[in-house]
Amino acid sequence: MSTPTINNETPSTANSQPNQKSMTKAERRELQEKQRAAKLAQKQQSQTPMNSKAKSKTAPAPKKSSTGPADVTQSSGADASKHHLKDTVAANMDREAVTSKSRSLRIFSHFGLPKYGSGGKGDIHPCILRLALQFSEFRICGANARCIATLTAFKTVIQDYTTPQSNTLSRHLMSHLSPQITHLVSARPMSVTMGNAIRQLKLEISGSDIDLPEQDAKDLLCHKIDDYIQDRIIVADDVIQNFALNKIKDGDVILTYARSSIVEKVLLHAYKMGKRFSVIIVDSRPLLEGKALLQALTSAPPVSWTLSNDSLLPPPPPIACTYALLPALPSLITEATTVILGAHSLHSNGAVYSRAGTALVSMVAKQHNVPVLVCCETYKFSDGVMLDGFGKNELAPSHLFQTSSPQTPNLEILNPLYDLTPPSYITAVVTEVGLIPPSSISSIPMALGKISM
Amino acid sequence: MDICATYRRKLEDHQISPPLAAILSLAELCATSTAGTMFELTTALNEGADLLKHHSSNPISLTAGCELFIAFVSLFAHDSTSFSDLKMELVRQGDAYVRQALAYRRRIAELAVDFIKDDSVILTHSYSRVVMETLLLAHRRNKRVSVYVTEARPRGLGVKTAEALTAAGIPCTVILDSAVSYVMEKVDFVLVGSEAVVESGGLINAIGSLNIAIIAKAANKPFYALAESYKFHRLFPLSQYDLPSHNPRILSFASPVEREKATEDISSPASPDIRSVGAITQDEIARNNPDVDYTRPDLISLVFSELGSLTPSGVSQYLVGMFAG
Repeated sequence: MSTPTINNETPSTANSQPNQKSMTKAERRELQEKQRAAKLAQKQQSQTPMNSKAKSKTAPAPKKSSTGPADVTQSSGADASKHHLKDTVAANMDREAVTSKSRSLRIFSHFGLPKYGSGGKGDIHPCILRLALQFSEFRICGANARCIATLTAFKTVIQDYTTPQSNTLSRHLMSHLSPQITHLVSARPMSVTMGNAIRQLKLEISGSDIDLPEQDAKDLLCHKIDDYIQDRIIVADDVIQNFALNKIKDGDVILTYARSSIVEKVLLHAYKMGKRFSVIIVDSRPLLEGKALLQALTSAPPVSWTLSNDSLLPPPPPIACTYALLPALPSLITEATTVILGAHSLHSNGAVYSRAGTALVSMVAKQHNVPVLVCCETYKFSDGVMLDGFGKNELAPSHLFQTSSPQTPNLEILNPLYDLTPPSYITAVVTEVGLIPPSSISSIPMALGKISM
Repeated sequence: MDICATYRRKLEDHQISPPLAAILSLAELCATSTAGTMFELTTALNEGADLLKHHSSNPISLTAGCELFIAFVSLFAHDSTSFSDLKMELVRQGDAYVRQALAYRRRIAELAVDFIKDDSVILTHSYSRVVMETLLLAHRRNKRVSVYVTEARPRGLGVKTAEALTAAGIPCTVILDSAVSYVMEKVDFVLVGSEAVVESGGLINAIGSLNIAIIAKAANKPFYALAESYKFHRLFPLSQYDLPSHNPRILSFASPVEREKATEDISSPASPDIRSVGAITQDEIARNNPDVDYTRPDLISLVFSELGSLTPSGVSQYLVGMFAG
């Protein structure tokens, strides 16, 4: 389907800009119409990104519909001019829009993709604008980092907010925050961690005391946000480090995939505690995040003598690291004693949603009887059930990570960011409440309750 | 007070298993302790528990008991007026729990006996009080059962099981540990006791249980475990080498020279004239071998405890709910 699209598009683009003087009346009218439609389309795209996405998804089905998409090749009669017009519109859009449009692999059309030039609404706080840009450029990346950054930005937004006349903070603040959240989501789809944190924040806002002076109420909210970051992320990470430490023994070979902030902390902590182990970092295009982990591990500060069982132990040698790409995994897995992975979110059936490639690593590890540990804070738990990585996913914007020649006309680049690891491939999930088999995840949020911020 | 001696004394009672003996010893430690505050008491209990673990060759099952009692003490809601009253109350509670716990085996037997059909052939491993109770109950209920029991080296406790069952009139055959796969075809299901049930839903039991579980899985026979709830232990072994009972000495490769020396040391006092260099004694083998192994949850069909018949994931949910809540 995609092949004729592009072939069709090229000649129409060439035809679209003839000299106005040499045109017939009908042609001039057509051009006028075209320009109007282009304006409209651009406006639509900027205002309701969700809407335009939905349209591009549903449109291809009826062949003769007036909003006929660019990839309907054979149309005739009156439709032809409109069809032609649509092509022009598509051609006029900036490069990124074209890429997203021509992503006509329909089964993936629902995958979230950052939308540019959107959300020009007046009310967006500058720090949210900046954050959205950082998200969309992948400057801030990773579930924990994004959640912390979002909450910190919201603190600024809340501090800069004043309740309008004849309104209360508990009722109005959320409607002030909603467009900010929408703007962030338009930059990059919301992570489960952000969703959980925002839900908690909403709860806190709606529960805040009406009689409290405004500044006090705002301070209280900021304080609650700080507590959330501290309790659910930072302290949780410390506890996870200690649990994971017990599972790393001298002489172990730890295999990990890509880069997770918590796995990095676990490995560095274990090293600091004098464990002697080596690490195999498996990595994959397009993000190649493992390089950052490699950098962090190899530049770990040297450790002094450690005290263990009342005897001083000499400092361990620097962490021996092996860096390899995913195709080398089968030959490296036989060396590994434990696989430690991070997670984007954890679903109630025990499935782990994590960087694309994680499922493959855990599958191979299971095949070779190597225990797989997933480090994950409890705030990453999601109530939903996911069955595969197709229902929901996100695409890495190709312009950020493209390494091959950019102009290959018939090449569609598809980089899903995540995949889903079924619970059967995971030995245990390391959370701040202990090591838990993935099958028992569902009993955790109950036991933990939706504890307040 | 010497907690280790108390522990050993308590264990002399045949009905008392290591976790219960640990609870009783710690309760006694409460009574004799000079602690004046809750903090001091908990510290003393933890020290006692550490001492017990340190002096036991196989600390896993008694640790489960220690954990249970210390958790109980720190969460105990009391209305005692003085601290010495509280200590006496704790001792009473400990004794009461143990008395109550002794009835658990009977309840487990009641649950498990329904799974035993008339004319069943059962394979069991080593010696377990709760397995004995179940088999004898089935026998009393006029179910014709015949039992294969593994010899369970190095301790050879299978013989004890066989003697007890034969005395009760149950047909019983002792098989070699290496004959398990030979006999598995004839067996209807496997029934074993346990030292501890861990958070993954897996099982820690006398060495050889894992072999039996794997063979049972390969032959598609159910593998049932019996465990009182005081054996539930907050532990998550990832492999055999991740067990607390593992140490570098176990299954290590001795250099040929060292081994020669070791045999000399052993044989010299007993029989100085017979120099059996080269012959490996049973003792020597046992010394370097593990006592227990860990059976993964995917190999276990059901765990019977007095809480009910649980699947391995049910066990882990119970444990997670109990400790992570």
